[in-house]
Amino acid sequence: MSATPTPTSRPVQPIAALQTALAAEHAAVYGYGVAGALLTGGDQATALADWRSHEEARDTLEAMIVKLGATPVAASGAYTLPFAVTDARSARRLAAALEDGVTRAYLGVVAVSDTTVRTFGALAMQTPAKRAAAWRGSTIAFPGMGGSPPPISPRPGMTSP
Amino acid sequence: MLAASTTTLPVFLALSACAGPNPLAGPPPLSADVRGLFDAVTEEQNLIWIYKRTMASYSAMAPALGALLAEHQAHLTQLRAMIVEPPGKTVPSTVTRKPAVPAAPATAVAQLRTAEQSAGTAQLRRLGRAAAPLAQLYASIAASEATHVTTLTALAAGSHG
Repeated sequence: MSATPTPTSRPVQPIAALQTALAAEHAAVYGYGVAGALLTGGDQATALADWRSHEEARDTLEAMIVKLGATPVAASGAYTLPFAVTDARSARRLAAALEDGVTRAYLGVVAVSDTTVRTFGALAMQTPAKRAAAWRGSTIAFPGMGGSPPPISPRPGMTSP
Repeated sequence: MLAASTTTLPVFLALSACAGPNPLAGPPPLSADVRGLFDAVTEEQNLIWIYKRTMASYSAMAPALGALLAEHQAHLTQLRAMIVEPPGKTVPSTVTRKPAVPAAPATAVAQLRTAEQSAGTAQLRRLGRAAAPLAQLYASIAASEATHVTTLTALAAGSHG
């Protein structure tokens, strides 16, 4: 089933969009820690590889933000999950939700006017879109669109150690 | 949140920006956004045509290919919805590429995969000169096409056996 596209019409600043993407990557790194603990075998190996990919993407974004003269947003110490994650099935669902959240964040980067940053966002969203499809077991027509709330959010009052 | 319904964001930019158009000079040239949309519409029509032909030739693959076809039809619908037809111009409705369906199923899937890759690359080429909402739509469609490439790669591997 396809999501309803909901692109933005407002101008977006590169730093703000990149910070949003970085926050999504932080959340994914945290979330895969939760999901991976409940998975086994091939799924766990995939989750581990995906977790490492998100760490690399996080580092890339942090470097880009520093280069633009800003301080990268820090990870939260803990996050609120969008639903109870108690077994392998819900762990796979969480992994798909994490990837959807990262895909959506990179689509926000595409809204900036800087062509280089825009293209970076468009390319960067393809990998999480593919991973989301793999975890979900099906593709969607409009990855990153739909305007859903973030799948995982920082827990208030928690800061990174 | 970067969200606004596309139904409220049609591309009214049917005409290129120009000061004081001469009413006797005929219709002004199309804007870059509309030219890009016309190209994107044609690209989707070409993909839909080749999917339908391949499914007609290989009915065993129709369920898997049908899901991807449905997403291309959603892309086409959304792209068309972004266009307000300029005077004297209609949205393209013809298929411009009609390759023969290969005799072997694996080769036929490979042809679809190549078509998806080519379409995704074309979407990314449109990013730089597009308005932000359109750029996001192109990026999302390109990500969708990237997920299709992964699906088709798996399908091709299965069709060898």
